[in-house]
Amino acid sequence: MKGFGHFPLILLSLVLFALLPFLPFGVWQAFLLDVGFFVLLFTALALSWDLVARTGQLSLAHGAFFGLGAYSAGLLAPQLGTLPALLLGALTAGAGALVLGSVTLRLHGLYFAIASLAFSEVLRTLALKLPFTGGPIGLPVPPPFAGAWPLATYYLSFGVLLLATALSLWAERSPFRLAQAATRQSEAVARVLGVRVVQVKLWSLLLGSLVAGLAGGVYGMKTLFLSPYDAFSLGRAVEALVIPIFGGLYTTLGPLVGGVVLVSLEQALRLWIKEGYLVVYGAILILVILFLPRGLVGILGRRRG
Amino acid sequence: MRLEVQNLETGYGKAQVLFGLDLVVGEGELVALLGANGAGKTTLLRTISGLIPPWRGKVLWDGEDLRRFSPARRARLGLGHVPEGRQLFPLMTVEENLRLGAAFLAPEREREGFERVFALFPRLYERKRQLAGTLSGGEQQMLAIARALMGFPKILLVDEPSLGLAPRLAEEVLLSLKRVVEEGVGVLLVEQNVALSLEVAARAYVVEHGRIVLQGLAHAVLEDPRVREAYLSL
Repeated sequence: MKGFGHFPLILLSLVLFALLPFLPFGVWQAFLLDVGFFVLLFTALALSWDLVARTGQLSLAHGAFFGLGAYSAGLLAPQLGTLPALLLGALTAGAGALVLGSVTLRLHGLYFAIASLAFSEVLRTLALKLPFTGGPIGLPVPPPFAGAWPLATYYLSFGVLLLATALSLWAERSPFRLAQAATRQSEAVARVLGVRVVQVKLWSLLLGSLVAGLAGGVYGMKTLFLSPYDAFSLGRAVEALVIPIFGGLYTTLGPLVGGVVLVSLEQALRLWIKEGYLVVYGAILILVILFLPRGLVGILGRRRG
Repeated sequence: MRLEVQNLETGYGKAQVLFGLDLVVGEGELVALLGANGAGKTTLLRTISGLIPPWRGKVLWDGEDLRRFSPARRARLGLGHVPEGRQLFPLMTVEENLRLGAAFLAPEREREGFERVFALFPRLYERKRQLAGTLSGGEQQMLAIARALMGFPKILLVDEPSLGLAPRLAEEVLLSLKRVVEEGVGVLLVEQNVALSLEVAARAYVVEHGRIVLQGLAHAVLEDPRVREAYLSL
């Protein structure tokens, strides 16, 4: 079936990331591991966004799922330990997705996008005002496993990407792909062909939010500090959608390639030209969208459907 | 299997389209529903398959009221729908479009379905790896019908299959529906092409402004002076 042709490439990049901490980069080691961490995490977030986009829903709530996961994991980690806190963080994001989805999934396209944006704003306001979140001052988060293992955040991030990739590959290979593609292209036709459209959209949103929540939790454990404007930032939701568009929508390889290229590019530009990096970053984005409408994977000559 | 519509009324917003419509389609029967643009034919099909809720009246499936059934559930019962304007998935191949037809309705009969539709439309077999968007109009219509057949419907609603097709292709498509009926499927054919439909159908209803104004055996409808004047310009 379609997608198997990309499998070796996907596997290769995953192996490369697994081995990254052990490659001899000398003085660059620490910096590259930092870049690698963000590449893994935001690529996972992008894959989780694409999972929702495959049903034709443009989600601007991925910043909110990310923030929900980050805050829940950050609040629970001191009591429960790293892994249970991350898991509960993901589940909180999932619960948020179910609430959002049950209210809005009958909306389509842009209308859903606006509703999900509102959801995101509401949650950020809550994070600012609730008594236990630290409000605008922010929330300190303990490092994973009490800091016992320096590579922990990197491999947690790698784990999130593995999960996101596995989910995305599963969605690509199973009848779920057909259900998502049919829902995206025409809901009415999908319905008369027996697709339970609302369920498909709800499941996609739930799976996407779980991964985004997990990514948020790991993010907090890396930055060791969360603020509402960072954790629930709209910029994160935008990054989650820019990466798949850049790499190639509705595929596993697209967000993967897009994430690796775009996030490393961002980090490298930030290093080289400091504040002005966004100008170059924006220009590259515009060029790719203009000349590679199917994203980077479009160069590989595969169609998308 | 018997699909029955009783006193159906519906519309969009405040605009009523159907004003109390009755009709019956049985298994192995080709029934034509004829009428001009805006008569409510497509609205009727969309109401039958559950995409639009009825205001009053019933859609019965072997006597059971389908009111609470979602479109997906009606499809699972064996109600197929070939929508107006074909509505294929243009960036998917012919084969993928067909697989989609089977995936949620009859996944375990996919191979049988492929054999059936390729026997019915050999041209689709030749083009199975081609993107659906690159097919000719006639082939796209065949694919739309074939995709619905992949779900092994007992009753199939077909909306304007001859729309935009050259006369010879329109005839070919309608004749293929006749072969579908011979396999035991009941077909409700919505058409503006009155002459051609009455050639293949056993019975026919004529609908005007949301009401049935004439019904009967196809040849009787064909002989009716009102039909000859209004639709056949004879």
